[in-house]
Parts: sequence; C-alpha cells; structure tokens
Amino acid sequence: MSSETQKILTTDGIPLEVSLKKAERRNKIKAFLLVAPLLLFLIITYVFPIGDMLMRSVDDKMVTEMLPKTFKAMEKWDGKELPEEEVFEAFYLDFRQLVDEKREGKLSTQLNYTKNGFKSIIKKLRRKSKNFEEGNYKEQIMAVHKRWADVEYWKAIKRRAPAYTSQKYLKGMDMFKNENGEIVSVSEDRRIHRILWLRTLEIAFFVTLFCFLMAYPIAHLLATLPMKYSNLLMICVLLPFWTSLLVRTASWMILLQQQGVVNDFFVGIGLVADDARPEMMYNKTGTYVAMTQILLPFMVLPLYSVMKTISPSLMRAGKSLGGTPIVAFWKVYFPLTIPGIGAGCLLCFILAIGYYITPALVGGASGTLISNQIAFHMKSTLDWSFASAMGLMLLAGVLAIYWVYNKLVGIDNIKLG
Amino acid sequence: MKTLSKLLLAISFAISVTTSAFAVTAVSWGGAYTESQKLGYGDPTGKALGITINWVDYSGGLSEIKAQKEAGKITWDIIDVFAMDTINGCDEGLFVEFDFDKDFPPAPDGTPASKDFFTAMPSKCAVGNILYSWNYAYNKNNVKGTPKTIKDFFNTKKFPGKRAIYKGALTNLEIALAADGIKPGKGGAKIYKALNTEKGVDRAMNKIKELCTDPKGGCVFWSAGAQPPELLVSGEVVMATGWNGRFFNAEIGEGAPIVQVWDGQGLDYEYFVQVKGGPNDANGMAKKALAMMTSTEMLAGSAKYIAYAPWRKSSIAIMEAGEPWYKDGKTNMVPQMPTAPQNTKNYFLVDPIFWADNGTELGEKWEAMKAGL
Repeated sequence: MSSETQKILTTDGIPLEVSLKKAERRNKIKAFLLVAPLLLFLIITYVFPIGDMLMRSVDDKMVTEMLPKTFKAMEKWDGKELPEEEVFEAFYLDFRQLVDEKREGKLSTQLNYTKNGFKSIIKKLRRKSKNFEEGNYKEQIMAVHKRWADVEYWKAIKRRAPAYTSQKYLKGMDMFKNENGEIVSVSEDRRIHRILWLRTLEIAFFVTLFCFLMAYPIAHLLATLPMKYSNLLMICVLLPFWTSLLVRTASWMILLQQQGVVNDFFVGIGLVADDARPEMMYNKTGTYVAMTQILLPFMVLPLYSVMKTISPSLMRAGKSLGGTPIVAFWKVYFPLTIPGIGAGCLLCFILAIGYYITPALVGGASGTLISNQIAFHMKSTLDWSFASAMGLMLLAGVLAIYWVYNKLVGIDNIKLG
Repeated sequence: MKTLSKLLLAISFAISVTTSAFAVTAVSWGGAYTESQKLGYGDPTGKALGITINWVDYSGGLSEIKAQKEAGKITWDIIDVFAMDTINGCDEGLFVEFDFDKDFPPAPDGTPASKDFFTAMPSKCAVGNILYSWNYAYNKNNVKGTPKTIKDFFNTKKFPGKRAIYKGALTNLEIALAADGIKPGKGGAKIYKALNTEKGVDRAMNKIKELCTDPKGGCVFWSAGAQPPELLVSGEVVMATGWNGRFFNAEIGEGAPIVQVWDGQGLDYEYFVQVKGGPNDANGMAKKALAMMTSTEMLAGSAKYIAYAPWRKSSIAIMEAGEPWYKDGKTNMVPQMPTAPQNTKNYFLVDPIFWADNGTELGEKWEAMKAGL
C-alpha cells in the first residue's frame, strides 16, 4: 500500500514528484526572468555605484604607486625628526619621474588632502628642481620652501604609504592615524565634522518630529472628512509638492526675515516692539520651519493611506465599550496607525538627513550640514574618496536607524499605502 | 506635398548634421552673466567663424567634467571656472595647457597677450575672461552718514545694524584683516603674508567673530549671489558684501537705494578653460573660438551687458571710446569697472594659489568658528 503511494506516476510514466518539481522549477525560472531586468537595473544603479564608492573611499594605491622609492626609504624612518638624506634622494627621484610624466599636479592634489599647504610647495619644487645639482638633496629641497624643512609635511607623506587606508573615515570623525599608528583627534579648532554630524542628526530628528505633530491631525482630517472636502484638502497638501523647492525656500525667507511679512504683522498688531523683532530666519528656527513645510507631504501621505483603511466603527465600538474618546483613541485608533507613522517618520528622517540647499539658504551660521561638506568635496576639492567615505558613513547611519526601527517596531509593520 | 516635406526633413537633417559638427559647447553659470557672454562675444565669435556656440548652464565645480572624463564621453569644450578650479583641473590633467602668446592674439597695438592681461594666469590652462569684485554696499535709506572705508563695514558704533557676509571663509578673512589695519600692499601681498601664519588667521577670525556677536551688529550669511542686494533692499541688513555686478544690477538696473563702496575690495576673476579631449579639441575649433572670444574687442562686448571688467587692459580703451557703453545707452561703464583707477585705490587680488593650498583647512576652521557664534 505505502510503496504504491510513493510511486504515483503521471500519464507519461515519470514519477509525479519529479514532474511537479520540474514544473515548479520552470515557474521559478519564469518568475526570475520576469524580475531579472529589475534586478539587473538595481545592481547597475545601486549595488555597483555603492561598491565603487566603497572602493574609492579606501583605495589609496595612486600615491603608493607615485612614490615607490620614497616609501621604501621611509620604512626605516621613525617619523620623529626630519628624515635622512636617502629619503630626500628617493623623493627627488620619484618626483623627477612624475614631472617627466606630468603627473606631479595629481600628487600635489593628493598630498594636499592629507595636509594643506602641499600644492604651492610642490609647484615651487617643480620649478626649482630642474636646476638641482647632484647630491645633497636634503639641503636643496629644504631650501625651496620652509615647509619642506617641517617634519609635519614628511609625516603627512608617510601616512599615504599604505595602498588601502581608513584615513578618510577617520577624517570624517575628525581623527587621524599618526605615524605611530595611534588614532588621535585633530586639533580642536578644526573639529568640524563631529559638530556637523550632530547638527545633521538634530535637524533631521526635530524636522521629523514637527512633521509628525503637524501631519497627524491633517491626515486624520483627510481620512474622515467627506470626499468632496477631503479632495480639496488633499490638493492643498500636494500643491507645495508641485512648487519648486527654491521658490518655497525663498518665500519662507521673505515671510520670516526680521523685516519680513510676519514680523511686520507682529509689530503692526503691537505684539512685539519694532526694535525687538524676533529672529526667525537665518538660524535653526528658519531651517526647521522651511524643512518641515517641504517634507510635510511625505508624512501626510503614508499616514493618510493607513488611516483611510481604519474603519470608523472601531472608534465607536471602543466608546460604546466604556472608553472616553481619549482612551478609545489611544487604545484603539493610535496603535492601528503605527505602520503609517513608521513609514512617514523613516521617509522624512532619511530625506531630511540628506538636505543641504534649504539649510544653506535659510540656516545662517548653522546652515552647513554634512551633505554640504560632501558636495564641497565632490565639486571643489575633487576629493571624491573623502566624499565617498562620508556618503557611506551617512548610509551606515541610515541603515543603523532602519535596524533600530526594525528591532523596536518591526519592519513588516511599515505601510506606505 | 509629401515629397516637399521629405525634402524639408532631409534639409533640416543635413543642417543639423553640419551645424552639430561645428557646434562648440561652452559651459557657464547661467542667468544674466551667461546672457552677457552670449551677446557680448559668444554670438559675434560664432558668426565670424561660421560655427554655433551653444551655452550650457552648470553650478560650478569640476565634478561634472571629471565624471564625463571617467565615463569616457566628454561633451563640453569650454568651461567658465573659478581660479581654484583652473589649478585643480590643470593638476588633474582635465584641461588643455596653453602656449599663451601663441594661442591668444595680441592687443591691437601689438602688445603680446600675456602683457595685455591684468595679471598673470594662476595655471597654464587658464585664460582670463572677466574680473569681478567682492566689494560691499549699503542701503542709503537705512544708514545714517556715508560709509567710505572697509573699516566702516566693521564699525558698528557709527553704523549700527546687521551685516550680510559670504557663508565661506573666502574673502572674509582678507577683508577682516584689511579692516583690522593691515595695508593690503601690492595686490594684497601683505594680507596673504599675514594669513600664512596662524596668528594672522586667528586675528581675521576674531575680527569676524567680534562683528557677528556684537549686539549692535550681527551677521547674516549669504550663499547665493542674488541674496546681498535682496537683503539690503528688504532692510534685513544695513550693509552687505557681495559681487559688484549684482549690486550694479540692483542699483542701475532696478533703481534700488543702494550704494557701493570700493575701499578694501577683493578683485576676483573668472577664467575660461578648454577641456582636453573635448568634441572640438582635435579639430582645433574650440581653441579657435576661445582665442577669438578673449580678444580685445570681444571681451569689451560683454561689459555692455554686465558690470564686470574685461581682463584685457586694451579692452578698456574700446569701452572709453564707446561711452556710454552700457546697453541702456546712458550709463558710463568704465567707472563701474572693478579695475577702474578710482576703485582700485585700496584693493587686494584674491590669491587662488593661497586658497588652493589652504582652502580646506581654513574652511574647517571657519565652520568651527561659525558653530561657536
């Protein structure tokens, strides 16, 4: 009996199990082929660039290859006093080679990333080194510019020796690995990145919070009003979406500056004195107001789509079972909106963390965020490896928040619509 | 009818092919500035050479051209860049190095190009295009008295009220030292000598900090060039540093009650560079167009539309002979030039090599200072 059931055959004599597996495999391949273009697209546009960024941020082969003799000679150098003649000689030979290949400019750019001040002294060295006499290169190089006689600059060169480096990540945290391999902080008046990271997180956090506080009632209203009113309201929510970001930012500047419309109104109704107008623009307040308004739709829409699915009868049931409206709201309605809150908050926070045009325009002295720094290194200094490192640190931060959210609330709970 | 439309199609295709073969792409900052370039020398050059010069906008920096090069498809020929970018781009091998006197025509009187330009170029890849000024202006309705010097910009006792300054360290450190009593010297050499020491940098930072934390003063940091005149007109600040062309537009173009002060101004430059391996590099067309665009007569043309000074000294003579040179037909342009003698009694030349060297580090110190405000 049991042996017969094991050997159920299909009409063409193949065991059913095999035939089913075959059909299933075919389906799986079909399904895979169906998503393959999308997968390929994701790999090309997402995985590949991020991998490339990662490589850029740690790859330091360029300098290693440019100064092979120098780094070899430097191996014996303890990095305390100025190096010996042989290091200078090796550097001179490497440098002449680079000048012949017209690559000394690239070297100056690279070294300038590690320590500012290299650009001009390398240019000067190129000019002077043409007339160098043989021997005693230490004296001759040191005579070109006083920085060449400063041990700090030679230490900076030595730091570029490894082919792969974590220096860019350390720099993003205002630290560096010194010549003894210890990780130390940069001097106090240059510790700017830590300030910027904290400021970015702070602004993103508060903007998300304000968005949530404002969007929740709006979304509730949208979900409960009759269709004809809620459609109109929906258009009001979406309207800013269709307006240029810069226009919206500029209008806030006109409204909120000290001589602006809002302040004029306050003075007009006698709320504040003319010479004591509150500052609402070119500081963090300005950033919060402008960014909250810009990101509000991203909070309203997920909340609305979740609230729309909550049946009004649930609240009625809660109340009829003896709860006050507040209790019924808190115990019944609010927990049901958590998926929408999660989606909205994550969306707002992740968008806010990468903002930089709006804060730069309205934020005044506090208008520089970490993204401004990334843009600066992408566009001006061309230090793409440092920009990549900071970009990845930002990405890691976002993923960490995602992970915490998953632990606390559960990512399955998220609902965008 | 059908044949006619086919014929038209064929003709338009043929035209598009021929024109695109000789279309030089020039990249610049957009707005009124690009307009002045297009009308002033872009179109006349294109006409003279029988080519099209297409103007494309960008927002500065070298990231786009570097990306084009890395992707192996360069579409730009000529770019309008800051001094620092000519140095960095030249070092990176992105731009063509010029043989200056051979590549660029001499002045009408025969002075070689390298002598005709206002100063030497910061790199071998650069050719000057305009000079502009970081000067300051005030709203005459909101200021009692007349500020005349760079010291007045920092004098909050005599002229109380907020000031607008650029969000970055560039030029702010220089004017702070100029206002703190350092005579700029020839082209600002003494200022940069001071800024090369830690003491000098601290001195400049403290001067700015003092102004921004002064209860009678205070700072608004601007980031877009349109902001300074706007902030002045709205009364948000009483004085603002900015670019003279923007102030000129507000003052002459729109009749705003603002007055420019030239004492302690910083002369800065815009350059053209030619992209190495650009679409018209090999056929020599890009270089030809660039040489013509930066000739004496052509450079003077752009000053018809905007208050930026042509790089060539010989261009000024053409403007003087043609006054009133401004497009409205009644404004004399030579006195509005940042290089005019009465405007350059006390000035510094923004030193691109200094900023290429120290920009990142000073930028970090500047941000740290701002965070403590």
